[in-house]
Amino acid sequence: MAYTLSGRLQSRLAAALLPLLVACVLSVALPAWWPLELAGLMIGVGLALDLAYDRLFDYQPGWVAVPLGLFELGAIVMLVRTFEIGAPLWPALAFFAASWVLAQVLAHAGLPLLRLSYGDDGGELGWIGAGLAVTTLAVFGTAGVYAWSQLPPTVHLSAGVHQGPIVITHKQHLVGERGTVVRGGIIVRADDVVVRNIATLGGEYGIEVDDAQDVVLDNVRVVGATLDGIHVRRSRVSISDCRVDSPSGWTQGIDVSFSYGMGMSMIEGCTVVGGMQGIVVDSAEADIHRNRVSTTSYQAIAMTEMSMGMVSENEVAGAVGAGIACVDQSMCMIEHNQVSGTRPDRSTPGLERQAGYGIVSDYRAEAELAENELVGNAGRVGVFAGAVVTQPD
Amino acid sequence: MSGPAPTCAIVGGGLGGLVTYTTLRHGGLEPGQIEVFGTDPDPASVFRAHAAAIKQRHMRSESNGHCFARSFPGLAVRSALRRPSVRPLVDSVRDRYRPTVEEFLAHVAEVRAESGWDESFRRRRIERVRAVDGGFALDDEGVFSHVMIVPGHPGLAYPPGLEDDPRVVHAYQRHDYADEVAVVGAGMAAATEWLNALTAGASVVSVRRREPARRPLNVERRYFTKRGLAGYWRTDPEERIALLRSFVAPSYPPGPDWDEPLAHAISEGRFRVEPELNGAPQVICATGFRRGFQADPLLTDLVRAHGLETAEGWIVLAPDATVPGLTDDRRALALAGVSAQWAHPGADTLVGMKYAARGLLRRVRRWHTR
Repeated sequence: MAYTLSGRLQSRLAAALLPLLVACVLSVALPAWWPLELAGLMIGVGLALDLAYDRLFDYQPGWVAVPLGLFELGAIVMLVRTFEIGAPLWPALAFFAASWVLAQVLAHAGLPLLRLSYGDDGGELGWIGAGLAVTTLAVFGTAGVYAWSQLPPTVHLSAGVHQGPIVITHKQHLVGERGTVVRGGIIVRADDVVVRNIATLGGEYGIEVDDAQDVVLDNVRVVGATLDGIHVRRSRVSISDCRVDSPSGWTQGIDVSFSYGMGMSMIEGCTVVGGMQGIVVDSAEADIHRNRVSTTSYQAIAMTEMSMGMVSENEVAGAVGAGIACVDQSMCMIEHNQVSGTRPDRSTPGLERQAGYGIVSDYRAEAELAENELVGNAGRVGVFAGAVVTQPD
Repeated sequence: MSGPAPTCAIVGGGLGGLVTYTTLRHGGLEPGQIEVFGTDPDPASVFRAHAAAIKQRHMRSESNGHCFARSFPGLAVRSALRRPSVRPLVDSVRDRYRPTVEEFLAHVAEVRAESGWDESFRRRRIERVRAVDGGFALDDEGVFSHVMIVPGHPGLAYPPGLEDDPRVVHAYQRHDYADEVAVVGAGMAAATEWLNALTAGASVVSVRRREPARRPLNVERRYFTKRGLAGYWRTDPEERIALLRSFVAPSYPPGPDWDEPLAHAISEGRFRVEPELNGAPQVICATGFRRGFQADPLLTDLVRAHGLETAEGWIVLAPDATVPGLTDDRRALALAGVSAQWAHPGADTLVGMKYAARGLLRRVRRWHTR
């Protein structure tokens, strides 16, 4: 077919309409945005490439659709990764393949049957083409309005001290201005909550998350919590760029516990200073990545009670007892960390794992170590009570 | 289509007439609303004779070179279903599918039988078309609102001085082969005749003054859609005439089916090229057809009677292949086939004929919905 530019674009939109509607149904049924995002990306990439194809091909033999389809697939995969669209691989590939096959069937059979002069007109569809463009825009417009209507409300906290505790029980973005402080802490009991740019002062827990999914704590600061700086139970959270200053005593900086099976939590880019334990993951799955933990009095970073996850690129300094501990049947990948200046815990004489090791694996835990830098610790790697440590050759 | 019946006439009972007929029928016209004037009720009679004369086995056209109104399903799909085999489909997407002449003739017979063609056919040669109030008068056959003229090729063309030469036979006339054959021309028919004569054991002299182009179709593919046609329609008369001349330059498809037998014959000394005739006992003129409206009495009369605009041998047409001065919102006169090349450079192909037929159908529909 020797397409005109308009014919290419109209044929593309005609072929995209059914996949777009299917994507809408899938997005509602799953529910998830990726089918609609993927369909939008496919249409966008296709229309953009059609501008190039128009210059490249005066006439396009049928077989050229195969390499062009593969090229478009490659471009879409790249963009899905770039835009971090959460499309599962095989369903997404199936969606693309089905859409491509449909496009071929329409181009060779459906549209010529629909419009007598489809070939003569170089793929143009007349008023049907204009209708398709309007319909496609309407579908995306409707989806956009729906998405906008589903966005959680954003509550802005002004600078200054606010009396807490603040209890969040529905989807919400709580965003503070520079210098916003909540005295008495924040309690999150709803899914999809975002807490950003807020400091808490005092309280038993600086920020408490209970029974909530997909909670984001971003750029928060916790000072003076009497038990845990950030206390997470039965939840999945993403904690990033936080700072927790814990007073001495039975305190912990970040404690994610009893969340096994709820998906991977993320603790990244945080600075935790003081307290008995810096970051604790207990019966949960978590990635602990690029944090700085210092001057803890028992363990700086600990994964315990059948936890699972990765501890990587963290800096641990001046801990007492143990630097990084993988304990009690947990499975830990411990890579590219720096642990320095760990000293023995004089308050627990006879407890060997607290003898100042940089890394500890205890009671049937499995720790896989790679490329860790251990400097100036009382001990390097301690393995106890049936635990296992493996290192690459 | 319901409501008052438009009266359509098709002047010409060949393949172009059949394509126009099926298109109008697809548009909702009943056989009683269309009259077809021709000299043979078999729309393939002329093509069959020509193809038999040159022993043509495959069409030059591809899957969409058929007589149905819609382009899909084409001949490749039908062949795939009939065999059954995916080979025709694979060949088609590679632009390698060529239906056999036998398949094509069976297809024409099928379309003829299913379309109601015989109900509409009148064995009558129309000699005069005149624009009158409310339509066009065709001899004494009445007045028709919409008329398609598809006269076909106006006759066989011979190089000057050879028409009455006793050694000469035209490629499209039934003939055998002497021991030494001179084939004049270098297009598809000539190439077919080279191979035919070689197969018959003859030595062949190809008489030609320029080398043939090697291309699958005689017109570039882009000219079969609006992509190429839009630029074609923007050309001024001189440019368009030059383009049309370039399209009639001799050509035949590339491929080993043509090249290998010739290479073998050259190595045996049985094939050579000469610029002029050299006394061969048999001369086959593969020089196609006479060109220009002046070669067709009906068109010549039409041009003279209505003072139609012409450009050398072509009648100047609107892009939809209608005659501008004689077409308005009440009536339409259109040309198809080789005489419609001013509107569509591939007008003498089945796809080009269908293009003109669709243009007429749009006019008929507009007339109906006025």
